[in-house]
Amino acid sequence: MNSNSARHNRPSSPRRIEASRWRQRIRRSVIALLALAAAWHIFATFLWIAPVSGLRAAVPGSVLHRYMIPMNGQSWSVFAPAPINGDYRLQVRAYVQNGTSSYTTPWVDATEVETSMLTHHLFPPRASIQSTELASRFKSSYDKLTADHKVVVKLGYFESDDWEQRLTSKLGSYGAQSAVDSYMREEHELSAYSTQVAYALWGTKVSRIQFVVSRRNVVPYGDRDDPHARRPAPQVALTGWRGTVEEAGQSRSDFASVFRKAYAESGQ
Amino acid sequence: MIRAYLVGVGRFVTALAAAFGNLIETLASRGLRYTETWLTGTKHAKYGLAVTRILLGLTGVGLLLTNLRTRLYTFGAGSAWNGEAAHPTSEFPRMWIFSLFHRLALHDTWFTLAYVGLLILACLVVLGWRMKIVLPVYFFCWVGFAEMNDLVGDQGDNMYRITIMTLLFADTAQRWSLDARRAAIAVTRDSAPGGVLGHLRRAWLGGRLLPEWLTNTTHNLALVVITCHVCFVYASGALYKASGAPWQQGYAIYNPLHVIRFSPWPELADLLTQWAPLVALVSWASIILQMSFPMMLTNRVTRVLALFGILGFHLGIAVLMGLPWFSLAMIAVDSIFIRDVTWRAVSAFLGEAWQASRVPLPTKAPHEDFKRRRAVVSRRS
Repeated sequence: MNSNSARHNRPSSPRRIEASRWRQRIRRSVIALLALAAAWHIFATFLWIAPVSGLRAAVPGSVLHRYMIPMNGQSWSVFAPAPINGDYRLQVRAYVQNGTSSYTTPWVDATEVETSMLTHHLFPPRASIQSTELASRFKSSYDKLTADHKVVVKLGYFESDDWEQRLTSKLGSYGAQSAVDSYMREEHELSAYSTQVAYALWGTKVSRIQFVVSRRNVVPYGDRDDPHARRPAPQVALTGWRGTVEEAGQSRSDFASVFRKAYAESGQ
Repeated sequence: MIRAYLVGVGRFVTALAAAFGNLIETLASRGLRYTETWLTGTKHAKYGLAVTRILLGLTGVGLLLTNLRTRLYTFGAGSAWNGEAAHPTSEFPRMWIFSLFHRLALHDTWFTLAYVGLLILACLVVLGWRMKIVLPVYFFCWVGFAEMNDLVGDQGDNMYRITIMTLLFADTAQRWSLDARRAAIAVTRDSAPGGVLGHLRRAWLGGRLLPEWLTNTTHNLALVVITCHVCFVYASGALYKASGAPWQQGYAIYNPLHVIRFSPWPELADLLTQWAPLVALVSWASIILQMSFPMMLTNRVTRVLALFGILGFHLGIAVLMGLPWFSLAMIAVDSIFIRDVTWRAVSAFLGEAWQASRVPLPTKAPHEDFKRRRAVVSRRS
């Protein structure tokens, strides 16, 4: 080490001490900023996850929502306040027009088909719960319709390509437009799924489809030891015949190859 | 006389206030020094976070393998009926950086290639290879994949996404990883030249890229964030449940275990829910354990009880309710609460058990040595 660098590195050099102090200040400022960011994130996460309380007023406006969604979106009211206590079921049938002959197919339980990939499987694929979730969402939107709406959805709407518009405007004429819009979104998705089920099982000559969604509660806990106890009667959401619905880019073979195999395994 | 007394009282109060002020100042100063040292001194829970990384990687591998056969039916062109390809429900596929899988959803071959690529990335996460690059890439690809079909997601996806996002700020490859092995080799032959290029070359070979105090701070803050997050999740889950009659009356587990979707083993579910005291015990224990989990972490004995309890809770969910990957993700996060000394002892025990199993006649059963080994590891640390 030469004498010049030795002088430069002397610990008592005022310039060096000052530089060291600045480095320390910058370092502490960075640590403080990082700690503050972490503290805000923890506080926001707490407010978002915990049951809604007056504490949420500590963060004004939509700041919390804008911070948490979408990256930190979550909800932990799982199985609360009461866990699910009923099975959803989706059954599908179709009307097949093959040249001059035509026939109505028997009902097929699509939920049972998919859950055959779940029952007695340690690692069930996510495919096993699609129709259950579809049925659950459909039933939820159906339950928000009025009695007049429910009479309309039991009617058949399948002729010509504008059947969905006609059904929507007919339902809309009985009011509760937001409930109707929500219902139609679910019905459209369910019709598209049921169409694929029909194509997979009965071929492409299917001209219209019909589905029925139901929910049946389990035997109440208090009655479980009663040998004569039966599950309560199912709550049924019956719809009329519908035209086929197919989304752009849909692969019938990708759907059918899995559904047919599961159908065979379900033993229907 | 009275004046002198009042002056005395005044002096006493002033001195007391000054002493109290000094005490607060001292405590605040000590607290700040301790916090600074804790944050910048060293990286905490190196083994715990390594286990979290490995188990989260295994969760990804398991979930992708489980859905491999039905990938096109659930996420690809076979699922276009759900409208996600045209109008995604989640906001993520609309963000460019998360949109890879959404863009490929309707092209079977490309989607399958991306799916296999994601599987390889998940394997690399397990192995801890080039984590500073692989983990962010895996994160962006995974989130895009998991958000493809809104119908089949669960809260485990959210926990998985948020935890991995937080782990981007931590060094999860310091232990039990290929990165750690490379860094150990790099230390023994550090011959890279000086300057920026030399610094980058050393970083590529396993050396430090950023100052240690900075990486230590982000690592330890990530640890704090994950700890708080998991405590909030459990405690709030208990609060939500506590307001429901089935939980209060101790039969809540009966209902989902008799619903097809959450009961892949109906025979087991029937057996478990046959005896009312057991149903009540499991239902109430779930709430009590979740609620008291954060407090139980503060004491070693209760922490062990909490961790075994929560492990059993998640194993039950995995097997009885058919949610193995949700459970594994939660177990992965809980791994940070096990001390490094315990992980090292477990590692040493497993290593010796493995060695013992390879010789014809082991002289001593390896489990007899576990306590002694843990004590030795503890002394070394």
